[in-house]
Order: sequence, then C-alpha cells, then structure tokens
Amino acid sequence: MTTRRLSPLLAHLRCQQRSQFSYTSPSTLHARRLVSTGAANISETRSYPKSRPLTEKEREFLQNAIRVNQAGELGANLIYEGQYAIFKRDPRLKSLIRHMWDQEVHHLETFNKLVAKHRIRPTALRPLWNVAGYALGVGTALLGEKAAMACTEAVETEIGGHYNDQLRTLLDMLKDDKDLLQHGELKELIDTIREFRDDELEHLDTAVEHDSKGAEGYDVLFNVIRGGCKAAIWLSQRV
Amino acid sequence: MNNTIRTNFSSPSIGRILSKPITSSSSSSSCCSSLTTPRIKFRRRYHSYQHPAPGSPFTKAESAILSASLLHVPSHGFSNAALSFGARDANYLDISVNMLPRGVFDLVHYHLATERLRLGDKIDFRKPENELPEGLRNLSIPAKIRVLCMERLRANAPIIHRWQEAFAVMSLAGNISASMSELAKLSDEIWFLAGDESHDTTWYTRRATLSAVYATTELFMTQDNSKDFEATWAFLDRRLHDVKTIGSSVSNVTSYLDFTVHAFANVLRSKNVPFF
Ligand SMILES: [Fe+2]
Ligand SMILES: [Fe+2]
Repeated sequence: MTTRRLSPLLAHLRCQQRSQFSYTSPSTLHARRLVSTGAANISETRSYPKSRPLTEKEREFLQNAIRVNQAGELGANLIYEGQYAIFKRDPRLKSLIRHMWDQEVHHLETFNKLVAKHRIRPTALRPLWNVAGYALGVGTALLGEKAAMACTEAVETEIGGHYNDQLRTLLDMLKDDKDLLQHGELKELIDTIREFRDDELEHLDTAVEHDSKGAEGYDVLFNVIRGGCKAAIWLSQRV
Repeated sequence: MNNTIRTNFSSPSIGRILSKPITSSSSSSSCCSSLTTPRIKFRRRYHSYQHPAPGSPFTKAESAILSASLLHVPSHGFSNAALSFGARDANYLDISVNMLPRGVFDLVHYHLATERLRLGDKIDFRKPENELPEGLRNLSIPAKIRVLCMERLRANAPIIHRWQEAFAVMSLAGNISASMSELAKLSDEIWFLAGDESHDTTWYTRRATLSAVYATTELFMTQDNSKDFEATWAFLDRRLHDVKTIGSSVSNVTSYLDFTVHAFANVLRSKNVPFF
C-alpha cells in the first residue's frame, strides 16, 4: 500500500469521479475507446430519432467546448512531444511519456474528428499553441524530471477540472431529457469527455507518483503553468 | 439604390399588417409582429445530426414576401418595385415592405441564404458514391469543389443580368459585413458538402481561398455573354488551377483580392455608387 501525496484538488476530482460518474475500469476502457472513436466518424450515418432542437445557448456551449478541447489536446500533445524530445534517451521516462503521449494523440484525433463532424471552426491560435505547448514541454523537461512532472501535474489538473466543468454543464443541460442521456450524440460526447477526463487524472497520478511536488520552486511552477492553462482555455473558447 | 436604408417601425398596427396576410386579417390587436422583435443573427454553431437545426433566419412573413419578390427580380431588378409586387403576390399590403429591416438588401440576402441552403439538396458529396448521380462519382476534392461552385453559380442564372445591382447593394457600408459573412458561409458550405474534414489552419486558408475564387467568378459571370456561361466555367477552372499550382502563397491570395477590388470598383462606378 503506497501513500500518495494528493493535492486537495486531486482529492476533489477523485471524489467527483466516484460519486457522479461511473468508474472506468481498464478492461472496459479499450471497448469504450473504440465506441467513442467510432462516434466521431464524420462519414458515419448512424441515425437517432430526431430530438428537441438545441437552444442557441446550448449550441454555443457545444461549439466552444469542442473547440477548446481540441486546442487543449493539441497543447497537451505538444507538451509531451517536447518532454519526449528531452527524455527519449532515458529508457524509463521514455516509455512513461510515450504512453501518456499516445493517449493524448487519441484524444486529439477524436476532437479533430468532432470539429469536422460538427462543423466547428477550429481555434485560430493553432500556431501559438504549437509554439507555446512545445516550448513548455522542452522548457520544463530541461529543468529536470521533477519539474517536467510538476508541469504535467499542473496541466492535467487544469484539463481534468475543465472536463469536469463541461460534464457538469452537459449533465445539467440534459437533466430533463432522460432519453438523451441514454443514447445519442450528446451522450457519446459525455462518454468521450468522461473517458478522457479519467485519462487525464491518470496522468495526474503518474506525475504525482514521480514526485512532481519535489520539484525546485514547485509552488511557483505549478501556479504559473495553471494560470497559463486558464488563459489558454479562456482564449480558445473565444478565438 | 436610394431606398435601401429604412427605418424599422415599431408601431404594432403596422406590424400587424405584415404579420398576417390581408386576406385573413382581423382587427383584433392581440400581438405585435414578429418582425418588430430583433432577429436572431443566424450563426452556424454546433452542427447536429440528431437535433434539428435552427430554422431560417427569416420570419414566415418575410420569407413569403421575399420569395414572391424574387420572381419579379428578372424584370424589375433588386428594387423596391420588385418588393412591392412580391408583397402583393403574397397577399400583403404594399406598405408591409417597409417592415423589412434592410429593404432591398433583405431581398439580396434572402437569395444568397436560400440558394446556399438549397445547394446541399442538389449535390451532397458526403453521400455514398452509389447514391450520387452517374457523372459525379469518384471525383477528386478539387473536382467536387468545381461542381459545387458551378451548381451554386447556375442558381444565379435567372437573375444574372440583375446581379450587378445586388453587388451594388451589398457594397453599401451597412451591408458589407452581412455580405462577407454570407460569402464565408457559402464557402464553408461548399467545403462541407465536398466532404472536407480539415480541422487545423488549412480550415482557414481553404475557406479564404475559395471565397476569393467564388467571388471573382461570380463577378465575372455578370459580364459573361457566352453561350451557357462557357466563359465563366473556363474562368472558374483557371482560378481553381491557379490556386492548385501556385499553392497557398500570400501573393496569390492578395492578387485575387486585388482583382476583385478592381473589378468590383468598376461595377460600382457603372452603377453610380460613390466609391473611393
Ligand atoms: Fe488529453
Ligand atoms: Fe493528459
């Protein structure tokens, strides 16, 4: 039995995960993944019974949510890519980061498909995220393993919390439409976000296990990066 | 062109005239016209396959008047005369035309929006190949874009001799942003119907390039006297070819814009619209 040092926020997220959402066991993860990837296929013509029209506000929320998620996953990919570039000679870190990066690749591909499928304007700041994400990954990796893990912890805390906020809004949006929670486009989106949220929390765990909190200047690093993520989310929702 | 800017009356009595066809009008003043309420700006947001899309940006009364008016455009142009005839055909009083917030521009806008939405009913390359018409199967993406552009441009054919008037109305200061937004939506629609799945910066360059190609071709078409618009299709092919060979260089895009601005300025001068 290992005792992990969990940040209060992590405990908060975990608590939500148990109470509000079903726990994803690794065995069902793969099956779910196939489902959610299929759901994002633009050429797929699966038809659901016509449901109520979405309000202008709901459509705006969905558009912004999918755009910001795509931008976030793009950033995450570049951070891991940057870290990988530095740590690829360390066999232990190499496979660890490769594993998380692979999951981010899947996240990004899924949201890329959703952007095209639902005709959402992609973020206009892509060139900025390209540079910023990669620089953050390389930069923190150069500070050492613990700093890189602190970066991962900060980013995944922000993204995990962000996904939880979206889930809350989506569930609230559908609280009077029980059938929409059972099957359909929005249910698939909820499942996708839930699955990715769990992945992000796993990354968060991994970072904490690798002593992210032991990084030199942890508090500053953690808060600066979280602030940066918040700003990025704010921007991507708009531009 | 002097009557495109109108005041939006908010008097319920005038509103009532428009809200109901005169044939069935009653004198009760139960409610005001939906036209007097601010219109929801039609913005394409999350596109759903399960939830019905929001309806037309035009109210029922507006659609009735505007669609009837379009039939008078070939003979009366994009003008208030066409609107009045249209209102009468749709059983509204002539005065109800005053309720259209932007007058003649609403007529132009109605044509643009309905033809854009109609395009997908005519050709939709997202369908399985075997459901497409014989000649439209297994096309490359550029070929699909070409077919869709041609189809949309053909919808201008009945009013092409009047389309320069529409250009003049669209270029009035208050109408430019709505016109540009309509062009952007058409460009997006064409890429969507061609099955484009871009999700990165090419999303922007593709739409910008096609907007420029489409706008210049549409302008060219107003001056085309060839049989069945052969010259226009040749012009379109050259523009699409240019885009393909030169690539997405900035100079390419700017030269299109330059061409558009000059051709546009000439049209406007010929229509006595103050320009520069
Ligand atoms: Fe992710
Ligand atoms: Fe992650």
